[in-house]
Amino acid sequence: MADRLSVAQRGEGPYLRRFSPLERWLHGFVIVSFFGLVMTGIPLHFAGAPWAETLVRALGGVAGAGVIHRICAIITFGYFFTHLGSLVYRIAKSPNKLSYFWGPDSMIPQFKDVRDVIAMFKWFFGLGPRPTFDRFSYMEKFDYWAVFWGVAIIGGSGLLLWFPEFFAKFLPGWAFNIATIVHGDEALLALSFIFTIHFFNVHFRPEKFPIDTVIFTGRATVGYMKEEHPLQYERLGAAGQLEGLVEAAPSSTLTAWSIVLGFAALAIGVGLIVLVAWTLLQ
Amino acid sequence: MPRALWMWFSLAVTALGAVPARAQVVQCQKCHGNRAVLAGEGGTAAQAARLYVPQQALAGTVHEKLRCAECHVGYERGFPHVPSSTTRSCAACHETEGRDWDQSIHAQNAKEQGDAPTCTGCHGIHQIYPASDRRSPTNALNVAALCGKCHNDARIIGTYFSTAADTQAQRAVNEYFQTVHGMALTEAGLVVSATCNDCHGAHKVLPAKSPDSRVNRAHVAETCGTCHVGVRETFDESSHGKALAAGDTTADGHQAPVCIDCHTGHQIVRADEPHWYVGVVEECGSCHEKEYETYLETYHGKVTALGSALAAQCSECHTAHAMRPASDPASSVYPMNLMKTCGQCHAEANVNFTRYYAHGDPKSRTKYPLLFWPWLAMTTLLVSVMSFFLLHTALWLIRSAVDYVRARRRGGAEGTVSHG
Repeated sequence: MADRLSVAQRGEGPYLRRFSPLERWLHGFVIVSFFGLVMTGIPLHFAGAPWAETLVRALGGVAGAGVIHRICAIITFGYFFTHLGSLVYRIAKSPNKLSYFWGPDSMIPQFKDVRDVIAMFKWFFGLGPRPTFDRFSYMEKFDYWAVFWGVAIIGGSGLLLWFPEFFAKFLPGWAFNIATIVHGDEALLALSFIFTIHFFNVHFRPEKFPIDTVIFTGRATVGYMKEEHPLQYERLGAAGQLEGLVEAAPSSTLTAWSIVLGFAALAIGVGLIVLVAWTLLQ
Repeated sequence: MPRALWMWFSLAVTALGAVPARAQVVQCQKCHGNRAVLAGEGGTAAQAARLYVPQQALAGTVHEKLRCAECHVGYERGFPHVPSSTTRSCAACHETEGRDWDQSIHAQNAKEQGDAPTCTGCHGIHQIYPASDRRSPTNALNVAALCGKCHNDARIIGTYFSTAADTQAQRAVNEYFQTVHGMALTEAGLVVSATCNDCHGAHKVLPAKSPDSRVNRAHVAETCGTCHVGVRETFDESSHGKALAAGDTTADGHQAPVCIDCHTGHQIVRADEPHWYVGVVEECGSCHEKEYETYLETYHGKVTALGSALAAQCSECHTAHAMRPASDPASSVYPMNLMKTCGQCHAEANVNFTRYYAHGDPKSRTKYPLLFWPWLAMTTLLVSVMSFFLLHTALWLIRSAVDYVRARRRGGAEGTVSHG
């Protein structure tokens, strides 16, 4: 019964692999570090808000929260460079290097993504059929590049603010003013996006409600793939490559943990975005 | 000799004034040192208790050498003594103190309501010791308790300090004991620490709103400066001190700050107490509004707003008492001095480092174009990304709802939104 909470478990057929163990772990680190960064960062961004001091105190005061923030920053740089390293390694080893840069398996936006966005809006207004996706929908690609851009921008500006005396050796002091603006506003964008748009697209939209644990378990049913990534499913089926992706159903322990941790993250995220939205409306 | 006759005789002798103090005291003691005598001849026990003066009452006191008659002048009218003028005014000798007291709020009240201390109320009657003597109620270690007898009394507070403007006065004595001054006395036993009379005056006690009061705004710096001599010197030379001396006010009528604006009157704590020096930022902000606002947008300000002392507050850059305009070469924020000022916290601060805008306002395109454009770019990015995707989400939800309703109408079980 609990299995059915996650959309990745609901459909028919055997389970197909969608994410590798490394990708699942990296996303886990993204979640943990992102929550650590957000929870210790937004009280500082909204320092005048009535809840800010309480939240900071709960996280060890300004000094304690600062330590958590920096530890999570290190985790962030860790997953960022691990991902880059693994990407380089995989591309180097791949017989089909081009597939990483172009085509349905690439994270690079394609013409099809632009067509999909247009088709999606047409569908919203009843002017056409709902677009179908290959391995990565334009929403997933946006999520991916948002993290890429976000880590670079927030991480870079964060380093400036972490070591101002060092960076002042070759940057003027007002660079730290700009770093403060960029760091805070980009972070505000990141958390606003993740806790509303990403949560909706991946977990809360009617087809998927209330949760999609495929990023934790790494696999989803054929039924799920047919609905979410039909073009990839057909493509692999036609190429006879589906057999290689079949995996055993995730263990009940893994499923249970995925659901518990997933819901915890969703709950914290929604709680935080409510706080932020309330504060911005004040 | 009948007792009455003996009294007449002794009074007549003392009235001549030819008797040395000791001998005269002996004479008075014959009756006033003897309860039985006082209670005789129709006197009551209460009367006797009131009139009774123990032997050696003045021994060891400041008035040891005085004769009774030097204060008690009424007896000249004969026996029994006339009560209405039995006491000679202390001011006959203590002229300055008497004159000061006459101008005080205590005098006014004592004359009109009889609810305020006269000389004896604070100094006692016969057992008067110098203020330096631990036994004196006016000894530094006893003063707060002495004043507290009335100023901590519910009836007095209810009668004279009941309005909202008196909230400070209502708690003053209790709070004093928690202040750095009070603790210096009670904890450290430091008699040079300020107690009530050091600020309010001993005799010419006046409400702060009275222009003559030592605690009136116009005199506060002077009053605190009695002890804090060095601070006063610095303060007088600062922007604040100069504005105060010149009587300058800000556009909206704010006067220059005096000691108590930041340090308070009765909640004075050590200046290195974080809860105070973090909170005092708001006091600076009550006049320096724009600077306060922009400060709160910086890392320094945000950390401070979270109640932490980790980042710089106003005084760490501008100093606590020697603040001067940035154009003044003696100012801690004069450009040439910034490396040293920033260097207090940022040990390796170089010239580049000092080009940080400690009060930068990204929303001001003219004053801070370097901050305005990045701010505008980030805000545009944030607003456009969120607008696009929130619209995307809203339309998706509406579309799903429409599909769901249509499917229900067609009699379909769950509509189109399901993975089976």
